[in-house]
Amino acid sequence: MTDVAASRGFIPKLSTLSRFTFVDVVLWALRIGVIIVVIGGTIGTLIKARYGAAQWFDFLVFGVTIGSVYALVALGYTMVYGVLRLINFAHGDIMMTGAFSGYFVASSFAESGFLDTNPFLAMLGILAVAVTTSTVIAVLTERLAYRPFRRVRGLAPLICAIGVSFFLEQTFRGAFGSGVRAYPDPKWQKNTLDVFGFSVPLVEVLVVAAALISMLVLYVIVQRTRMGTAMRAVSEDSDTAAMMGIDVNKVVVFTFALGGAMAGIAGVCYAFVFKQVYFFMGFTPGIKAFGAAVLGGIGSVPGAMLGGLFLGIVESVGPALFLDGIGITAPYQLRDLIAFTLLIMVLIFRPYGIMGERMAKKRA
Amino acid sequence: MALLEVDAIHVFYDNIEALKGVSFSVDTKQIVTLVGANGAGKTTTLRAISGVLHPRGGDIRLDGESLSGVAPHEIAALGLMQVPEGRRIFARLTVDENLAMGAFRRRDRQAVAEDKERMFTLFPRLRERQKQVAGTLSGGEQQMVATARALMGRPRVLLMDEPSMGLSPVMVENVFETIRAINEQGVTILLVEQNALLALSIADYAYVMESGRIVLTGRGKDLLDDEKVQRAYLG
Ligand SMILES: Nc1ncnc2c1ncn2[C@@H]1O[C@H](COP(=O)(O)OP(=O)(O)OP(=O)(O)O)[C@@H](O)[C@H]1O
Ligand SMILES: [Mg+2]
Repeated sequence: MTDVAASRGFIPKLSTLSRFTFVDVVLWALRIGVIIVVIGGTIGTLIKARYGAAQWFDFLVFGVTIGSVYALVALGYTMVYGVLRLINFAHGDIMMTGAFSGYFVASSFAESGFLDTNPFLAMLGILAVAVTTSTVIAVLTERLAYRPFRRVRGLAPLICAIGVSFFLEQTFRGAFGSGVRAYPDPKWQKNTLDVFGFSVPLVEVLVVAAALISMLVLYVIVQRTRMGTAMRAVSEDSDTAAMMGIDVNKVVVFTFALGGAMAGIAGVCYAFVFKQVYFFMGFTPGIKAFGAAVLGGIGSVPGAMLGGLFLGIVESVGPALFLDGIGITAPYQLRDLIAFTLLIMVLIFRPYGIMGERMAKKRA
Repeated sequence: MALLEVDAIHVFYDNIEALKGVSFSVDTKQIVTLVGANGAGKTTTLRAISGVLHPRGGDIRLDGESLSGVAPHEIAALGLMQVPEGRRIFARLTVDENLAMGAFRRRDRQAVAEDKERMFTLFPRLRERQKQVAGTLSGGEQQMVATARALMGRPRVLLMDEPSMGLSPVMVENVFETIRAINEQGVTILLVEQNALLALSIADYAYVMESGRIVLTGRGKDLLDDEKVQRAYLG
């Protein structure tokens, strides 16, 4: 017992060294490697002083921007996991459906000039269509794909979720082709805003603002409304909630709808930041947002928000801060590597996240 | 016709038969108790009544209407509320929110507010702790929350599963006084208890369970004097 505890601790006792297995060695190598890269890279970067304050600020703001998109997506994972103990693998693709439907509205607005003459209304219209699409698709997947598996134990529900993910991707590929389409890029989005004396692209400010407002609204819904409270009750103990008169199916639908709406907003934000849509675009941000949800403690709403922001900042600041210093020439290509390394580290060393409880401990 | 009738139900966990044809009935305004040793099937019976478990045979009727195929939340709406074994309060919700969940399906805000006030009269300790997260309450207070939560649903029949479990003798006395008080306000009670002595002494009618069957029935007071019951449950 104590030996196991010691070998999991930071500094192993000598007597336990002989019991190190191959896996332990690998895990330690991973930890030490990451620590060396982080510390060495940071020192190296700071000595080289290649980046000025403005650039660091850019990285940070971009990190907050992309992080708030991850946070919006992570909320969907965490809430669905809360009520159903299901990892909705298709959630990233639900974000894609929002971005895609928003694309059609956005490009028609761009053609008619509406996007330039009346940006505010145009953006609201785009968001409304995206949110509606994502919400409807999220609710349909629950009704058609997940509900029949509700009482099934084992891996079947997870495999079903992976199937739904493929289904959505391939449906959109079949309907709209596999090419990358450019999202409209209205001139006003290139304007910059003055923040603390640094200039920040207007898109990024808008994305952060949209995400913050959405999260605030979501938080109020979850904490203050009758359905939100029921959702938290079902997350804790769905049988007892049902015995109290709560229609668990309705709560589940409500949860998918909320998550879908957040994913729709996230999809439009993501598309306006990267200026493109394609059928597979939900995959990477989906996995990252799932990781962010785990990082924040899956099931925890504030955890998903913080986890998303943290991941976004690390992956944005990380390449310059950690990798540049150790002599990697094109660190930005490795942004996803940093994000996934962080996620793997979390899954290995803190699977219950920063704010959450152990996954296994939760009642089925 | 009895208010609640349990008619020869068989309940299985996978292939283990936990209830082997259990029948009993509860009349309006009565306190009926179900006593028996660990594993006799008392909790299983209550969960089947609430619709969380589904009997493979037999029927459960409320006012003569079968509850088979009725979802748990609809059964609650029909007036069967449960104080589950181990309380199972929503630990991360506040006391207020727990009570609101008991009244979830009710739309009569005014009456809900009055009922909440009544709960605070019944359990004055909860009034001071309204905004407190329920998981931080003491065991006795959590029992109060679980009871108040169920009462907020305006039950016709209150199902209580071992409400005295894990409480100090003084708190146990309190719980039984509360049960009597609730019953006097017109709520029918089906009480499951390990504490057979107290349960039998307040019950109008009692059923003794053993390995998934009802083995003895009678008026509470009579069973209290019954030799077999005394030997098995009262020491
Ligand atoms: N979830 C379950 N899965 C499998 N078997 C179960 C389950 N729950 C209960 N059982 C079994 O069913 C039988 C009846 O259990 P039940 O919980 O109804 O007993 P009880 O009378 O409430 O006991 P106690 O007084 O200890 O609460 C027991 O043999 C128990 O092992
Ligand atoms: Mg029991």
